[in-house]
Amino acid sequence: MLWVGGAIGAGALLTACGGADDEEPTGSATGDSAKPRKGGTLRVGALGRAGAITRDPHGTQANESDYLILSLIYDTLTVPGTKPNIEPRLAASWKASDDLKTWRFTIAKGAKFHDGSAVTAEDIVFSLKRLRATPAGASRLPGIQEKNISAEGTDTVVLVSDYANAELPLLARLTTFVIPKGTTDKDIAKAPGTGPFKLDWFRGGNARLVRNDDWYGGDVYLDAIEVKIFESPQAMASALLADQIDVASNVGAVAARTAESRKDIQTVRRPNDMAMPIVMRTADGPFADAKVREALRLAVDREAMVKQVLSGYGTVANDILGTGDPAYDKSLPQRTRDLDKARELLKEAGFDTSKTYELYTTEDISGLAESATLFATQVREAGVKVKVVKQESGTFWDKTWLKGDLYTTYWGTNDSVVFFASKTMVSDSGQNEAGWKNETFDTAYEEAIGTAGAVERTALLKQLQRIEYDSSGYLLWGMADGIDLAGSAVHGLPTLPGYGRVQLEQAWLAR
Amino acid sequence: MVEKARPTRAPVRLLARTGLVVVKRAVLLAVLLALVFGTVELLPGDAATAISERGESAADTEERRRLLGLDQPVLERFWDWMSGLPTGDLGTSARGEKVTDLLSTAFPNTLLLGGLALLLTALLSTVLGCWAALRPGGRVDRAVSGSATAVLALPEFVVAVALVLTLSLWTGWLPAVTIADADGTPASWEMLILPALALTIPQVGWNVRIVRAALADEARAPYVETAVLDGLPPHRVLTHHVLPGALPTITAGLATSTGMLLGGAVVVETIFNYPGVGSVLASAVTDRDSPVIAGVTALSGAVMSGVLLLADLVRDLTAGARR
Repeated sequence: MLWVGGAIGAGALLTACGGADDEEPTGSATGDSAKPRKGGTLRVGALGRAGAITRDPHGTQANESDYLILSLIYDTLTVPGTKPNIEPRLAASWKASDDLKTWRFTIAKGAKFHDGSAVTAEDIVFSLKRLRATPAGASRLPGIQEKNISAEGTDTVVLVSDYANAELPLLARLTTFVIPKGTTDKDIAKAPGTGPFKLDWFRGGNARLVRNDDWYGGDVYLDAIEVKIFESPQAMASALLADQIDVASNVGAVAARTAESRKDIQTVRRPNDMAMPIVMRTADGPFADAKVREALRLAVDREAMVKQVLSGYGTVANDILGTGDPAYDKSLPQRTRDLDKARELLKEAGFDTSKTYELYTTEDISGLAESATLFATQVREAGVKVKVVKQESGTFWDKTWLKGDLYTTYWGTNDSVVFFASKTMVSDSGQNEAGWKNETFDTAYEEAIGTAGAVERTALLKQLQRIEYDSSGYLLWGMADGIDLAGSAVHGLPTLPGYGRVQLEQAWLAR
Repeated sequence: MVEKARPTRAPVRLLARTGLVVVKRAVLLAVLLALVFGTVELLPGDAATAISERGESAADTEERRRLLGLDQPVLERFWDWMSGLPTGDLGTSARGEKVTDLLSTAFPNTLLLGGLALLLTALLSTVLGCWAALRPGGRVDRAVSGSATAVLALPEFVVAVALVLTLSLWTGWLPAVTIADADGTPASWEMLILPALALTIPQVGWNVRIVRAALADEARAPYVETAVLDGLPPHRVLTHHVLPGALPTITAGLATSTGMLLGGAVVVETIFNYPGVGSVLASAVTDRDSPVIAGVTALSGAVMSGVLLLADLVRDLTAGARR
């Protein structure tokens, strides 16, 4: 359903590891200076449902396990990074025309498929066109028509966007997997990739991958990675505690709390992983008045939400989506709880406090329904009566999403302010969750994505965030950390949020 | 004349009756599959919306619908799917994987786990039931019957979690979860122990009570009393006179357990990450993936029918032998 993924641009957020106290365990999963050791097989558990398995790199991957396997075998043009939030991968460099419409990506030197053949611009064009032709193509390569994907010589791919778009390299992360030209749908599972690992076997969602010694992207330390599919985070945590796997990827806060007492288990916190905002409909209904929305933003106790809903594994947020963006505006005053002000605003707006309002939520991700319940309790203190209605996932996305007056949503790509603006806040955006229409915001957005200069762009993005902060339909109380658990021998794990966690090519084992 | 004809006619009659039952069950299964398609249709959303990504336009989702054939009427889709069934074609999942591929290792894995649990249930409940029946009202009888009731009330997931904690995480004796190998089966046989036990324990509770009751009934039969009066030792009376008479009831009880074992497998497989059909089914329902749901239903239905048929035959044969 949801395309989660992304990266952050905050190097300062490199996480601390270890348990409840500050004492480091025997090693550190991330950011340590020890010299990497070559060899060993890393056993990684990742979430996935057996019935939702897909082998197609351009298919709809609901399983984190499938996506992990695919991204170790196949390379995308760019990948999420720490700072900046885009790093080169199969595309070594890129350059835009002055109008920011035509983008040229140059292929990395020495890039080869696992069968030994060199990667050409034709292969990339074929892959991007294949991606574009899927039903998800228009949202994965926004603004790029199929006919506007072409090769220039053997090592350059040209993409022409329908509109000026400074964010194109960012959009080329995550889904632009490259396969050899002419691969048929029937042979898709056998298509060789260009990535740091080669497929040894795949069966029922589990796979074994072996090192690609010819990888153009640098040294890979592990001999092999075994990916194990887990239906539930609980089972995955059990497997880690029983030493049946070395890494439990994205296992969540509950498991981390369970593992706190184990000194031989490292907790890797990846900040800005998941946003779970509350959507208040702005177009019509009881929350259409900006004062009412402001009142709710002042009625919520953010600290308590982070502490209780996320077990403390998260940070307080300030109603702006895209918290991991290097351009995220930290100078805006942090909203804190002010019940008096909230009551006053509600009164001014003539809000009917005798009525009970329904807040729709699902159990799609851990903590979401809990956030709704706690929110309802908190705003009651400001005199707003909210009843939480839990919906089955299918019903929610069909009936409530984009339509409801008050509901919870969630997003996994949190390293770009513009990403959210384009997807959910510009007046005519396809996923305008709150039905928000604001002409000043639209203008600011268009100017921002049409501006190449870093300084001007940052100023425009600040303006954009200010408007969002004041009047959008979102109440973003906090950001959940992504949490991986790892055995003590594991080093070099990524600390990026979202799908940045799949970058295991730097991982190594001290044993 | 009549006496002589019996040996040749009986198998023929048995075969005819078996054939009739098979046909009846097949029709029942077809009705069940039609119900599956109909029910999925009634659920909110469909496979196209379930697998669509955020940001897709209504037209994109409509395109998915067309690619998945969901724009066809449900009857037509059902008929398409059914017509592939005789050739072993179970259709394609919403994400483009062959249903037979999704089930080719998962279903045998579930059968292995369920079969093992059934075998354990049969052994344990018969042995415990007989032990309790040896001295009705005695200490053993009270202990076995009492704990059977307690165990019967335990849901599988409670048993499963307790087993993981005690036999794996605290002691390290057994693997906590099942991890599949390159051939799709559990990597070691030890991984089967905990899930099999988690399925067996609640079912033993149920079946011990049936065995115990069936033995008590049978013990009141005149020929058993005769055997006792003849001075035969109690265990001989039990194994040679009481138990054979109680077999039809015990078999029927175990046959009922088969259904519950398959149902319980969904829960147990999740907790132990067992690579079986339970997780495939659960995710297929979430995705409104009719071909996958129907595939699982068809296979489980066939197995259930087979087991029930076998139980009927055993009952007929044992009952016939005693008549």
